[in-house]
Amino acid sequence: MRTTKLAPLVAMYAVIGGLALLWLYPIGVALFESFAVGGWGNYAAVLDHDTFDYWSAIGNSFLLAGGTTAAIVVFASLAAYAFSRMRFAGKTVLYRALLACLAIPVASVITPLFTTIDDFGLRNNYLGVIIPLFAFNVVVMLLLMKNHFDGIPTELVEAATIDGASPLGIFWRIFLPLSGPALATISVLSFVYSWNEYLLPNLLISEPGMYPVTQAVALLQNERMSQEQIGQLYAGLILMTIPSVFVYLFSQRYLQSGITAGAVKN
Amino acid sequence: MTSFTGRWTPFLYIAPLVVLAGGLLYYSIGFAAYASLTDWNGLTSMDFVGLANYVELFRDRTFYIALRNTAVFMVGSVLLQAVLGLLVAVIAKERIAGSNFFKAVFFLPIAMAPAIIATVFKFMLEGNYGSVNQTLRTLGLLGEGENIQWLGAELGVLSIIVIGVFSWMGFSMMVYFAGLMSIPDDLYEAAELDGAGWWRRLFSITIPSLRGTTSVLITLGIVGSLKTFDIVWLTTQGGPGVSTNLLSTFLYQERQNREAGYSSAIGMVILVAAFLLAVVQIRLSNREK
Repeated sequence: MRTTKLAPLVAMYAVIGGLALLWLYPIGVALFESFAVGGWGNYAAVLDHDTFDYWSAIGNSFLLAGGTTAAIVVFASLAAYAFSRMRFAGKTVLYRALLACLAIPVASVITPLFTTIDDFGLRNNYLGVIIPLFAFNVVVMLLLMKNHFDGIPTELVEAATIDGASPLGIFWRIFLPLSGPALATISVLSFVYSWNEYLLPNLLISEPGMYPVTQAVALLQNERMSQEQIGQLYAGLILMTIPSVFVYLFSQRYLQSGITAGAVKN
Repeated sequence: MTSFTGRWTPFLYIAPLVVLAGGLLYYSIGFAAYASLTDWNGLTSMDFVGLANYVELFRDRTFYIALRNTAVFMVGSVLLQAVLGLLVAVIAKERIAGSNFFKAVFFLPIAMAPAIIATVFKFMLEGNYGSVNQTLRTLGLLGEGENIQWLGAELGVLSIIVIGVFSWMGFSMMVYFAGLMSIPDDLYEAAELDGAGWWRRLFSITIPSLRGTTSVLITLGIVGSLKTFDIVWLTTQGGPGVSTNLLSTFLYQERQNREAGYSSAIGMVILVAAFLLAVVQIRLSNREK
């Protein structure tokens, strides 16, 4: 173990501490401003607001993020299993074509998405947002799950095959039980990514009562805001961040490892 | 490698994902490619106009402003995130007290919605009463009655870079941190015996060993810049005027102006840029290996 001398130690703390202050500054500002004019009253006012319904925004976000996460976990793990352990025509081409989707910016295809979802009558319908959210987020989860499944020893599968287990049986009784952390990782990532999405709901939901938190932010703003209204806006922003912070605190490990693994194995 | 019998079984496993994700996305690209060749308001029928939208686009001043801003944003945020991410990761790896706390602080914004981060920055950076100018006045760095228009035409793009770096630097930090863990300790011990100082070790061991990590981060940063939308739309909306538009917000404005054909042409440019830059970057980094 190296011992670090005093001068470099001070320098390191100066750099990392200075940066941390910069990072904490916006959070500090939001907290301070949410109390500066109006105090706790701002929080009460935001929870009992004319145009903005906190619990409904949170509930809407939960529906969107939860629905997307459920679909991703089921379909990404099934597909990852096939891509990892089965042989079929066009496998490599299909897999590469799916991975290429990682580079598609949402903005570049909003017009076709809007028209297609509209044609299916799914505007102002959560299914109409969950489908594109699924499409844009599932591929990286497929990649993570496939990499994980690739690491499961062949011997286990062979033994089960000899015992007469079906492909679905092997998936259910061998692969899934060995995938707890991987499934937790893709669940957390899917949830956070869909919760944070703004452009897709903004494109496909125009009914304010259906807004998730990212859209609901707009309901707390107007052209000429009083100091009091700004205080309420900051209070609303903080209240809307609470669920994200909870998810972060309880799943930091999965979030960090998942995001890092997605990058490293690309 | 085990393989199951039943010729069509595998397709049942992949069908939902392939149809809903691959199908929808590739169909959308095809649709956008066709729409970009039409005069269309997004609602009524499409009039085929050939390459007219692209001709108009390459003559449009706003397109070049958006292109330049996107390039500036891309280079600025990729560089800053790499430098700061590496710096923080290297320091955190020294196992100084509190390094987990610091890592958590830098990583936290990744869990937060960009829409919320952007709104905080929008009000914080406001010229008259925004907290940043107020803080600068308190510290005496800005005179009373003086304002800095952080989200104005001159500084807007730089402020958006700052918001992007605030949001994503923790990601570079974690990826670099994971990379640092895989550099063998004896490399550093040998260098130290040879009398190499901290900076020398950083430039001769750490940075070269992390070349692969850096190139992954560059690729993701390039694609990520082209995907960036909310932190611009919810702060400057591309304004004042069109001065802080990225390609994505320019596209969105044109769509709102009922120019669905024209905005699809912008979409195709973004898409081609994303694919080309990603492929070039991946090729370049493969050649180095």
